[in-house]
Amino acid sequence: MIFIFLGIALTLSILIFLFPHRIVFAAGSFFYVLLHVTLTVYSYNKLGACDSVYFRFDSLAVLLNALLSILLIPTLFHANLYFRRYVKDVKKEAQFVSAMIILASAISSVYYAENIVVMWVSIEITTLAVSFLIYHNRYETPLEAAWKYLFLSSVGIAIAFLGILILATQSASSEGANLSVSYLASVASQMDPFFLKTAFVLILTGYSVKLNVFPLFAATIDAKTVAPSPVNAIISTALVNAGFVAVFRVYSIVNQTAMNSWAQNVLLITGLISISLATIQLFRIKRFKRMFAFSSMEHVALILIALSVGKPGYYAALLHLVFHTLVKAGLFFQFGQVRAFFHSGWIKDSGGYFNLNGTGSLAFLLGILSILAIPPSGLFISEFLIFKALFSGGYLVVGIFVLVLLTVIIYVIVSKTMHLLFAEIPATYKPGAAIVNRFEPVSQFLLFIAVIYLGFNPPEILTGLIHQTIQFLN
Amino acid sequence: MVIVLIVLFAATLVYFFLSERVSNFIWLLSVQGVILFGIAFNNLLHIQPLGLILILLETLIVKAIVIPWFLNQLRHKNELKRVHESKVPVFYSLIIISAILIGSFLLSYTIDNEIIQLRFFTVALATVIGGMYFIVIHKNIFSHLVGFLIIENGTFLLSLAVGGEMPFLVSLAVLLDVLIAVLVIGVFLNKVRDSFDTILVSKLNKLKD
Repeated sequence: MIFIFLGIALTLSILIFLFPHRIVFAAGSFFYVLLHVTLTVYSYNKLGACDSVYFRFDSLAVLLNALLSILLIPTLFHANLYFRRYVKDVKKEAQFVSAMIILASAISSVYYAENIVVMWVSIEITTLAVSFLIYHNRYETPLEAAWKYLFLSSVGIAIAFLGILILATQSASSEGANLSVSYLASVASQMDPFFLKTAFVLILTGYSVKLNVFPLFAATIDAKTVAPSPVNAIISTALVNAGFVAVFRVYSIVNQTAMNSWAQNVLLITGLISISLATIQLFRIKRFKRMFAFSSMEHVALILIALSVGKPGYYAALLHLVFHTLVKAGLFFQFGQVRAFFHSGWIKDSGGYFNLNGTGSLAFLLGILSILAIPPSGLFISEFLIFKALFSGGYLVVGIFVLVLLTVIIYVIVSKTMHLLFAEIPATYKPGAAIVNRFEPVSQFLLFIAVIYLGFNPPEILTGLIHQTIQFLN
Repeated sequence: MVIVLIVLFAATLVYFFLSERVSNFIWLLSVQGVILFGIAFNNLLHIQPLGLILILLETLIVKAIVIPWFLNQLRHKNELKRVHESKVPVFYSLIIISAILIGSFLLSYTIDNEIIQLRFFTVALATVIGGMYFIVIHKNIFSHLVGFLIIENGTFLLSLAVGGEMPFLVSLAVLLDVLIAVLVIGVFLNKVRDSFDTILVSKLNKLKD
């Protein structure tokens, strides 16, 4: 099924690229979303089954692919608005949609990959697609970001490959290396601890570029600073989730061994360094997208910290991942409208948004409250569960330290948001210049309200998938 | 025979740090490709013919011919001749790369694993670390691309060292992936030169807040 999905997606992408016409890519993208949803439904019905030797329909993959299916619908709608505002060249628009289809398909391939080399190949494809999406408008600054992202990601992915090769030594048999996650997990206890630890560190380091955490986060932050909002809505959520899946699969292997507590310490250190760096950097930001990028770093750091606690933190970590995906995408969609109003992404060029666009500013405010985990946001519930796990697990100092950092982050983000909403309208603002679509905030309200609802009343399908994912871990 | 090739490979690694000419970098990468072909041919004769053909294709065609040819095109287009801007003097770099080689040798022989072929592993490890060091000490993005390719060659050698034979389809995907990545990086390098009129990393600073 996945091969069929990938084949159709590639064909669609090529067709849209070769025949740059609005009807072609509108129909193509509609068909692609339908295909993606079909894959999600199909994989849910086949939960636990293998799809060839390279893919498996497991609960984590189904959950994250469902989120991507949900996000693709508003992403394509907002991409259309983005084209009307900034692109106005049907050829470039077709290239954008074509690359977006490749990106989404590669991300799905990462989610479902059972073989860690197939996962690695898919992650490399996401790098190429993202680089193209950042640079598709051919400006200087995106070029710099695309170059840095492409280069650093390639180096990171090469480092991850070293880790995979080391894992291959540990899984080698007379028939060659078996690099399926389930096989590696089954033989993990027989692996040499030194090699397993080395492989884990190398893979975590390499994929940190996708996960947007220490050490290779810099290029990702730059990429998110300049990427168009619809692209950001995917690379700050679904692509981060792909990085999470890659690290989670390797963690689930190490988790079967006596090195589990060591791996949890590595995750804890990575999380703490990342959240500390994000907090420091947030004081220096001057652009909204950079603020959101560091906010993503903070949330992924929290997820790693939750994983490091062990069993009590697993549910909270996965729930946080789901909620962050929905809220952050919504925020980027709304920021697309903010940017259209002020024709700039710089904080200094914004102000008085409440007076200029009441509905949009309400959506923005709701999004900020949600991302800061202020009640009634669902993220409040997941963060509450993370801290509960930390305190009940005896991580008192860590818990207090992270709480202090979160307080600082709330202060910084709220102050920047207040500037946007209530400061004086900047002199650079041109009334009537923005192309406004009155349906634009709808997707954000739906996403933010969904997170509030899911926080208080998570449906059985969501909790079921999370609990099944937790079963991969000891 | 294999030992001679491995020593030659290590020598090319040292020579990367002696040289300042861009054409030498390209030539050295091509030589490394040929050496990897020799090592792979000697070491992998027992594997399935299709897999062997693919690996030989990767080394002899892609690493020794296609990538150096592509880099040469980049060199001509961007009028690159000599790389002056290494942050560390050649003498110190030589000491450091020698230390990396000795350190890798010592580390490798502490490893007690019968699957790993230590003769490859030593140089592979030194190549990966050396490639990273090469990126760190150079200031222009063409040299960074060369450093990335050194790391890729080290990774390839490491895959021989660990002896894990991957399925044909997977190997093919890895090969295509790496090749496309190098080509795309090269295309972006050209764009950077056209837009910024330089390939110095220090000039790529418009993203800073």
